[in-house]
Amino acid sequence: MENIQFNGELLWPGNLGQFFIVLCTVASLGAALFYYRSANNELQSDRQWARRMFYVQAFSVLAIFTILFWIIFKHRYEYYYAWRHSSNSLPVYYMISCFWEGQEGSFLLWMFWNALLGLILVRKAGNWESPVMAVIAFVQLGLSTMLLGLGQGSAEWPIHIGSSPFDLLREQRPDFLQIPVMGTVGGPANYLQIFKDGNGLNQLLQNYWMVIHPPTLFLGFATAMVPFAYSIAGLWKNNDRGWISPAITWSLVCVGILGAGIIMGGFWAYESLSFGGYWAWDPVENASLMPWLIMASASHMLLISKSTGRHLFTAHLLVQLSFWLVLYATFLTRSGILGEASVHSFTDLGLSGQLLILLLSLMLLSVLSALRSAMLRRSVILGFVALVLIFSLLTLFGGKSNQAQLTQIMKWTGVIVFTGVFSWFIYQLYVRTRTQQDDERWLSRELWMFIGAMFLILSLVQVFSATSIPVFNKLFGFSKAPAKPEEYNAFQLWLAMPVMLLMAIGQYFRWRDTDARVLGKQLITVAAISLAVTLLVNLNFGIGQPKYLLFLFVGVMLFVANVMYLRQQQKLVWLAWGGSVAHAGFGILLVGVLVSSVNQKILTSTEGIRFASELNKDGKVDEKAVKFNRENVILYQKQPVQLGEFTATYQQVIQGKGNDSIDKYFRVFFAKINKDGSLADSFSLYPKTQNNPKMGLLAEPSTRHYISRDIFTHVNYESSLEKKEPFSDFQETVAAPGESILTSSGKIKLRIDSVTRFNSDEGAGVQLRITAVRLQDSAVLFPKFVVNMAENNFSSIPAMSSELGVLADIVNIEVPEPGQAADKVRFLIKTGERTPQKNYIVIKAIEFPWINLVWAGTIIMVIGFAMAVVYRVKQNASA
Amino acid sequence: MKPLHIILLLMAAAGIGAVVSLYGNTTQYIAFKDAQELAKENPGKEYHVVCQLNKQKPVLYNPQKDPNYLEFWAIDSLGKEMKVIYGRPKPQDMERSQKLVLIGYQEEDYFRANSILSKCPSKYEDEPVNNR
Repeated sequence: MENIQFNGELLWPGNLGQFFIVLCTVASLGAALFYYRSANNELQSDRQWARRMFYVQAFSVLAIFTILFWIIFKHRYEYYYAWRHSSNSLPVYYMISCFWEGQEGSFLLWMFWNALLGLILVRKAGNWESPVMAVIAFVQLGLSTMLLGLGQGSAEWPIHIGSSPFDLLREQRPDFLQIPVMGTVGGPANYLQIFKDGNGLNQLLQNYWMVIHPPTLFLGFATAMVPFAYSIAGLWKNNDRGWISPAITWSLVCVGILGAGIIMGGFWAYESLSFGGYWAWDPVENASLMPWLIMASASHMLLISKSTGRHLFTAHLLVQLSFWLVLYATFLTRSGILGEASVHSFTDLGLSGQLLILLLSLMLLSVLSALRSAMLRRSVILGFVALVLIFSLLTLFGGKSNQAQLTQIMKWTGVIVFTGVFSWFIYQLYVRTRTQQDDERWLSRELWMFIGAMFLILSLVQVFSATSIPVFNKLFGFSKAPAKPEEYNAFQLWLAMPVMLLMAIGQYFRWRDTDARVLGKQLITVAAISLAVTLLVNLNFGIGQPKYLLFLFVGVMLFVANVMYLRQQQKLVWLAWGGSVAHAGFGILLVGVLVSSVNQKILTSTEGIRFASELNKDGKVDEKAVKFNRENVILYQKQPVQLGEFTATYQQVIQGKGNDSIDKYFRVFFAKINKDGSLADSFSLYPKTQNNPKMGLLAEPSTRHYISRDIFTHVNYESSLEKKEPFSDFQETVAAPGESILTSSGKIKLRIDSVTRFNSDEGAGVQLRITAVRLQDSAVLFPKFVVNMAENNFSSIPAMSSELGVLADIVNIEVPEPGQAADKVRFLIKTGERTPQKNYIVIKAIEFPWINLVWAGTIIMVIGFAMAVVYRVKQNASA
Repeated sequence: MKPLHIILLLMAAAGIGAVVSLYGNTTQYIAFKDAQELAKENPGKEYHVVCQLNKQKPVLYNPQKDPNYLEFWAIDSLGKEMKVIYGRPKPQDMERSQKLVLIGYQEEDYFRANSILSKCPSKYEDEPVNNR
């Protein structure tokens, strides 16, 4: 095998790419070291070197990105990444999506944003450049090791460091080389001849939201690094105040972009997944929500610190925690640990150990920054390296026999050391950053802001512990199943309300203390107006349950209070409105979430209709069986069914474009008819199915959007999926064009309408047009007959209709004698029959009222964040 | 007591309460045999059962009779076989699945699944299916 010369491979792009990966790693390391030195000695020359290194690093990232894209674009399937994630038919705009289907591409994307943010900071960070960039270069170093691919594809080498996107197909899958031996391509050397097309991009990712959602999310992740770097730099340089202003700006950028990215993911799920909603508390969604929750509370703690000098400890802790959670999210989604807990598919490249080390070594930065004594710092680094080495050696050479025992020991040592170091870090950080001041007043803004931040942390505690169940299962040997959405909702509903309340009224408090009488007046006005608005909008919403009504009230108040606050503050420049606008948008979003989920109506519910399966043996209703979900109805073609206020008719199936398309669109016509019989409203929806050979039936919903509601449909089953009985009652009859024949039962009449000739690659042939009639139903069939002169054989392609239960096949052609007219050609036609099968779809339709509030609220929120960011940038520039 | 301390104490209590109640409530992965016993103690409580589809026995789904009724047989990790009834259309990747995770509860002679997660190897692994 070693010496085979493989044909058709283009290896230089991969080698070049691999070179840039190594260069990127080395340059990141260099930049980190030089920035570290320059942060300590403040020498201009060291900083210059660090910058050059960082530029080299940024260029390498760009080069890797470009080469990988070129490989995908040119369909170079000798590279595993291109083969695995793309295919010939993939449109260019989805080629970019290939980057985030695979783990290597995701890391690359993340590094791309990091490099870009780094370049911005080199220009803008001023005095903070060296310590901040040292952290960023270190993060970049960690991420680039994920791409190294050392020891990849080699069975003898036990340690794998990273996974390279430039690995070759034949190295990743040596078994594929065995395939050509069976064929005629001339052995493994020509293996590429049979890999002319790629494996393809996951169908679910082929959606326009998937082009934009992952980059936004990763930009959010990347921006979480900047406040983290500032926090570390502030501790490092013993500067308690200076880091806060830039950290506020960057934390707002992060909350805005990450928030937008999360909701985009929800919109993608709503558009292209069939679970019927935009949020399912899936671990992947939670993984990106967790850093967002903490960054949102961190930005408020930073505001307190800036305005009052209080809560420096909490600000540091939350900023750092937020970035740890980004890394934890990466660990959760990329290590394969969630395997059973999520509907998402995960790639496990066997790098969970490295991911864990990455997470821990970045947490180590936090620990180091909190320690004052250089000796302590050195011992901590030594201890960490020693532990990693010992654990790696034990894993590799510990021997098979006592592996389980070793794993147990290592696990518990790890847990104990981690818990110890973590508590020690928090104590050290507290000692470093505690602020000695008199008590806060009950009516101060900082106190209530702090309380709001604490509620966000509580919210995180619940999401974290529920999402981490698979991790704790693995660590402590539990067998807990992942938490259900209802369990999340039960907590989060009650945690969201105080947060919303504080977001509403927090601004009415002043820093340090507030005049109780003024405040009381304002709050009473806000509450009264909110109550009135709540009652008014609830005339439309019609929410009855007290807890949801309370939620609605708080949500409305969040909006009303912030709008009223803006009116009060007219004198300010409009850019300063950012906070209130973002808060008000969040209020709209949450009201939308409430109404669209509490009031959603399943139009296809068959509640109340009795099915045979609900009856017991005596023919009575079996109460136990009635509690079933009952959320789908069957729609027979052309038979109208009442769904809510609509009459829905499944009209026809439309095949996707292209000959071998496996896409089917089902045209369903919805009509709303007035009492006098006139048409009030009508529209057609086209829910899609794809009977994917790898993934089973993929259903893509189709939705009618109104301002006040959405009608959401998806197909869960359709008649062609049913197992067909075979044709029988075959009969052969001779007929000429214009003549009719009957099937053996005599129930179906087939008339040959016309004959057409055609030429194809297989040879010359004829095609018949046959009209089949059974009672009132009819169908047109096109059986074909092909003669291959060169090989002197013939073949037929039968045609059939499931609806009529008939098959027609040309068995032979009776060639006319010379002199006879050509239309006297007669055909020997074989007919077959089976039970006619009606066309139908099984469909679920849901009405989501006011779901547009969710999207509108998001947009307003993001605008608010953008305003706040611009305002802060301007303020910082003038300060 | 300072306002801050009161708040922190309350928060800590609430946090611990949340975690405890979460871990107390969360369902467990169990086998059919345990599901039968547990169903006697708390009927209607949901459990997760990891099992395989019994491909020897028929999967009954006839949407023309009832689009929300699926019946099949599953074998859990201990080898126990159980009839499963599911009140939704047939998940289309079920027959190629290696593993099914059923979420639901045990009735007398069958397991009622409220949701089914199919774990299909082909979703994650590469197969040279498309290559000609």
